Amino acid sequence: MAYVELHARSAFSFLRGGSDPESLGRAAAQVGLPAFALCDRGGVYGSVRLHMTAREAGFRALVGCELPMEDETIVPVLIATQAGYRRLCDLLTTAHLRAAKGEGRVRWHELAADNAGLIALTGDEEGPVRRAWRCRGAKAADEAGSKLREIFGPERLYVEIQRHHLADEEEENDFLIDWARAQHLPLLATNGVTHAEPRARQVLDVFTCMREHTTLDGAGRRLARNAERHVKSEAAMNVLFADVPEAVAHTGELAGRLEFTLDQLGYRFPDFAVPENHTQDSYLAEMTIFGGHQRYGSVTGKVKDQLQRELALIAKLGFSGYFLIVWGLCNYARQRGILVQGRGSAANSAVCYALGITAVDPIGGKLLFERFLSEGRSDWPDIDLDLPSGDAREDVIQEVYRRYGRRGAAMTANVISMRGKSTMREVGKAFGLPNDVLDRFSSLFHHGDYPQTIKIKQQVRGAGYSGDDRQLDLLLATCRQVYALPRHLGQHSGGMVLSAGGLSQFVPLENASMPGRSVLQWDKSDCEDMKMIKIDLLGLGMMAVLSEAVEICERRGQPVDYARIPRDDAKCFEMAQAADTIGVFQIESRAQMATLPRMKPATFYDLAIEVALIRPGPIQGDAVNPYLERRAGKQPVTYPDERARPILERTLGVVLFQEQILRVAMELGGFTASEADELRRAIGFTRSTERLDRMKLKLREALLRNRVTPEATESIITSLASFALYGFPESHAISFALIAYSSLWLKAHQPAVFLAALINNQPMGFYSVATLVQDARRHGVKVLPPCVQVSEARTRVDDDRTIRLGIGSIKGVRAASVDAMLAARNARPFVSVEDFLRRTSFSAKERRALAGAGALNALAGHRRAALWQVETQAANDELFRFAVAEDATPPAPLEPMTLVERVRADYTHLELTTGAHPMKLIRDQLNDVWPAEELKQCANGQRVTIAGAVTCRQRPGTASGVVFVTLEDETGTANAIIWPKLFEQARLVINLEPALMITGKLQNESGVIHVVAEHVEPLPNLSIPVQSSHDYH
Amino acid sequence: MNYAVVLAPNFALQALRRSEAALANKPFAIVEGEGRNARVTEASEHAIGVEPGLAVTLAMSRCPGLLIRPRDPNAESEVMRVLLAAAFTLAPRVELTAEGCCTVNLQGADPIQTEKQMHACVAELARAGVGARLGAGANPLLAAYAARCAEPVLLVSNPAAFLAPLPLSFAEPSSVHADVLRGWGIKTLGQLTTLPKTEIGERLGTEGAQLWERAAGETIRVLRLIEPVRTFAADWVYEPPVESLEPLLFRMRRFAERVALELRGAGRVADNLALTLQLEDDTDHHREFRLPEPGANVDGWMRVLQAHLDTVKTEARVTGVRLVATPARPPERQDGLFDTALRDPVAFWENLARLAAIVGDDRVGTPVLLDTWQPDAVALTKPVNAVPAPEDDSIHPPRGLTFRRFRPAWPADVAIVDARPHAVEAVELHGIVRVARGPFHLSSTWWKSGAAWALEIWHVELASGATYQLSRTADGWCVEGVLD
Repeated sequence: MAYVELHARSAFSFLRGGSDPESLGRAAAQVGLPAFALCDRGGVYGSVRLHMTAREAGFRALVGCELPMEDETIVPVLIATQAGYRRLCDLLTTAHLRAAKGEGRVRWHELAADNAGLIALTGDEEGPVRRAWRCRGAKAADEAGSKLREIFGPERLYVEIQRHHLADEEEENDFLIDWARAQHLPLLATNGVTHAEPRARQVLDVFTCMREHTTLDGAGRRLARNAERHVKSEAAMNVLFADVPEAVAHTGELAGRLEFTLDQLGYRFPDFAVPENHTQDSYLAEMTIFGGHQRYGSVTGKVKDQLQRELALIAKLGFSGYFLIVWGLCNYARQRGILVQGRGSAANSAVCYALGITAVDPIGGKLLFERFLSEGRSDWPDIDLDLPSGDAREDVIQEVYRRYGRRGAAMTANVISMRGKSTMREVGKAFGLPNDVLDRFSSLFHHGDYPQTIKIKQQVRGAGYSGDDRQLDLLLATCRQVYALPRHLGQHSGGMVLSAGGLSQFVPLENASMPGRSVLQWDKSDCEDMKMIKIDLLGLGMMAVLSEAVEICERRGQPVDYARIPRDDAKCFEMAQAADTIGVFQIESRAQMATLPRMKPATFYDLAIEVALIRPGPIQGDAVNPYLERRAGKQPVTYPDERARPILERTLGVVLFQEQILRVAMELGGFTASEADELRRAIGFTRSTERLDRMKLKLREALLRNRVTPEATESIITSLASFALYGFPESHAISFALIAYSSLWLKAHQPAVFLAALINNQPMGFYSVATLVQDARRHGVKVLPPCVQVSEARTRVDDDRTIRLGIGSIKGVRAASVDAMLAARNARPFVSVEDFLRRTSFSAKERRALAGAGALNALAGHRRAALWQVETQAANDELFRFAVAEDATPPAPLEPMTLVERVRADYTHLELTTGAHPMKLIRDQLNDVWPAEELKQCANGQRVTIAGAVTCRQRPGTASGVVFVTLEDETGTANAIIWPKLFEQARLVINLEPALMITGKLQNESGVIHVVAEHVEPLPNLSIPVQSSHDYH
Repeated sequence: MNYAVVLAPNFALQALRRSEAALANKPFAIVEGEGRNARVTEASEHAIGVEPGLAVTLAMSRCPGLLIRPRDPNAESEVMRVLLAAAFTLAPRVELTAEGCCTVNLQGADPIQTEKQMHACVAELARAGVGARLGAGANPLLAAYAARCAEPVLLVSNPAAFLAPLPLSFAEPSSVHADVLRGWGIKTLGQLTTLPKTEIGERLGTEGAQLWERAAGETIRVLRLIEPVRTFAADWVYEPPVESLEPLLFRMRRFAERVALELRGAGRVADNLALTLQLEDDTDHHREFRLPEPGANVDGWMRVLQAHLDTVKTEARVTGVRLVATPARPPERQDGLFDTALRDPVAFWENLARLAAIVGDDRVGTPVLLDTWQPDAVALTKPVNAVPAPEDDSIHPPRGLTFRRFRPAWPADVAIVDARPHAVEAVELHGIVRVARGPFHLSSTWWKSGAAWALEIWHVELASGATYQLSRTADGWCVEGVLD
């Protein structure tokens, strides 16, 4: 057998490899290697990517790993059998789970205890033998090698030799060759690959600097000596090892012994524990029919047909256990009073609806079941569960761990890769750029990955880079090479993987940085490629709000059931049409609010369209304006092909949903269900566009073959491309619309409850609490300040139009102190500040915060008096706390705060004010500035000036560099459009000033008002408290 | 009026402006902290909209063209010495109170005469490039408050009326107390002193009571006096080094002014000046000048110094300067007409500089191997005083042939057959290659435009039996040395 590279590290060795596994695989295929082994440091992070590349390129991807040992040596092992793979995963899991992130090391006795199925190499310069030879001489090297020989035996240990065209490497190789011959061990030639091509050595050098916290100039001999550690052909290796040809020959022989590839992973989803006399299938059918009766009233006709069709397919594909497990988790959540709702394509399934996993009736909504499950589908269906964010979601996650064990379940990884700003920072540091230049680059260029309107060279120059142009070219070329390579592993927001027989046999697990969580070494695409099932347990702040709102309404004797609220509530749609949606799920963003008056949603389904419409997919696919124009009757409804009419009728001939693309592919392109599924997967694959490009080509050919006109074909292909940019499936949009509608209904009919629940579940949503409170005030909700005599820990509803802020909303006050205070108050109300101080355990800082926020006003009279009294000796000295209270407290010699002082104190301690908006206090100093509410009276094209606190800055990737800024004043919010040229002139002012004054021409399109900025300036020196803003998300 | 305080407001800013001519009339700010925590601490009057505490990025947005500088400890120490020298002109009992501030004990001095002297002191400091304010009061604290309010001189005669409107920050509350008092709405010293001292003590503790006393101007303390200087010298560095006369003279004048002020404060003049220019190549240029007439007049000194510097051409840029004035009693007679010849002392470093002029700057020093894979890469460093201990023996003793490098390497023509050297032709060497080992590849510095290097190295044994090392770069082949 020909030469096989058996020791390679990818960038998934995190700063120890300069190319991704795909590049290594492509390079291996290009030089004609029949197999290639990836041995990443401490894991199998990149193995799936190599496996998938190998599958396409036609070579065998072998699995290996560099084991980090307890004595800091590195032992490369290759996997010969499935049992060996499982042993490796177990070894690595044990090492990683007992150590801090990135510190996991294998103990020698663990490796010695069980290593069947593993074949070891003596390693490179970090290996035990060469390291011993270099540091302690030949005898020590012999001892280290003998230890390995003892552990693996002569059949499973190879003496690794490498040649990188270095004059001084032969002395070491001579020793290795002699030692191997003396020990009767086979020699094995490897190139110790760390990068795919010679030029990627530059990446490796930069990574070395990042690892060593130094610069390229300072790294000296820690950098690579040359660029020889790239993927080499058999011919090149034969020349290098002409004197020891057996070393090359052994690579092929050894590769032949490595039977294991990831095709033999053997992953299996766990079974659900069903009652006796039941199979997984029969139990699922029984529970589905039972649920169907509850959901639909009776299971007959269409409903029965659909459920039976789905159950038959689920059973045929062997997915019954999966549905039962998800159902079990939903039941667990409900038993604990946790709101749960399935979303994603599961909403297309009547079985999911019957089981209570989803809340959308797919039969009534005519949703496409094939989007969820089809006979041709090769992977597992996708069920995402939305849960209230925070403790409730963590409760469900921990329940999964409890049910399946620490080694039976884990979160999927999220590969954190080098993005625009981080790439420039890291590469810049390695190039020795001064910190202030890098800081300025970061400050100037918020979120570097959005399309920039000025060239990167100008950006770097603008940040103060003063090197010459050629040097800058080098820097940027290196950035391009480093860009998108993995930096470290995080955890996915909610994806959990389970397995039968212990997940740690299939992939190594590690500790996540979050306590109580573990993470596996593959991301969601890897898991999907390995057909591992992921259940997404996603936290939604709005679910927590809805959940809390139900509790509040229940307590107030006004129970709310979201399943039963009318779907045609006039007030809801009136508010939606007026873009009165601050705080409402999904449709509160600036872009959504700018569309609502044009869209004028009048039905629940309109809301689903609204949710799906303002997404990068439809925006990029040019679907938004045609849809709105057609809806307004300004444009005729047309179809790309008459055969598409039934599919696109609901969306007026415009492709808005993923399902529509799939059905178009099936109906017009003649795609089979499995081809449609392939298309669905290509749309969802975000790592590269290759898969999608292939499918585009296939669909284009299919459409043209089926006599679809070239123009219509192109329009369909454009829509398809845009869905790769986060287009929504219809079922997903409907699931989200359910939450959006519920929150809109609360805002319309229970505004006080809605506001209280929103405040209690921060941080979440698009707006700060200060903005939510100001909006609620404009809707007639009275917000009362926190008060130690009447407030609870959380914000509560006093009556239909009044809420009382909780003591917990005061910044810097600990929950335990608040609980202790509430217990003391329950025992006996406080009669004076002294009494309060004596019977509570707040720290000096907390007492000041309480007094400053006005929470002690009921006892002290006013804030200043409270501030005076909380500083008394009784408050400060433990001895005095048990003294008898004096009858009368002498009055405080301080004047009450002025209005301006109170507003400022509110922002300091609450980050909001329950009183007037700060802009109201300075309104009379702002000549010629229009209040936001009055802008609708202005004529189109009129030059106006607006001013206020910045609540939002956005620069959507779809808007060609245009920046949208939202300013809030006492009357509402005003939006400004800033063209790229002005933005570049005033970038720092726009990005950094907390309050702005913007002059420009007013633009009123169908009630959507914008000011097209001509001049932007800060609004300084007017003492507007700084408010948090939603920037560039 | 028992005490006076000499204060340089915006001390760090003034120090920087005094030492850097380019900052005159420019918007600039002093910044402390790194990265995102960098904040403006002081801003020049031209930096419109920039206030202390502002984030640097925000400051730059508000004031385009804003120059950002860190504090300059050398410049500050220089201004401090100028202030002290000026303070000693008021009275001999002087305390270095804080950065940019010194306190003078005036007890026993004539008040009318003192006020005149204070105005003269302000003028003297202005000539030395330091804007100062002087205040006087019954105790050091009052004098300090007065100095902060002075324009440029203020004598406090009615303490209560003077103190009442002053901002609370004058009394320097701790950050916790400042927060508490802000919460109480206390903004001035007068507002604080209207609150009963005992109540303040009860709430804010001893520290609070002391704060109240500071607000009432009641604090008495003993000055920590310092000795006047006895050596009259200045040294400073240029970062980056200077190569023209203008910036050199600008700062030289500043330092000379301080030294002259110190001499005048001590009732002395200079009869001799010693000037040392420290050069970038670690050499010095040293000259001594016997002044035509002993004095403490900076203009006179500068004329002598400039006359010399106009004729000097150094081999490297100037990184630092030292100026030493030899003190003397003020002259009572005129020196002789011809008694002006300069002495010409010979220094080791001057000789070294001369050597460098002959062999070249890059060929003088101690060679040290650089931390790089590039063969034979060395740098010449300043000779060290101690010889380092020899390194431990290598684990693996050297084996094979020893390499003797030719310096410079011999350019060669190498004939290649089957991608290996076949024959070598150099001026002192030619022959057919019998055995060739290689190629060995080394490359680095790819990150520097124009400095990237890559070597292909071969060890060739010629028919003669000798083994040579050949190397190929982008410029061609050469014989680097012999292995024997």
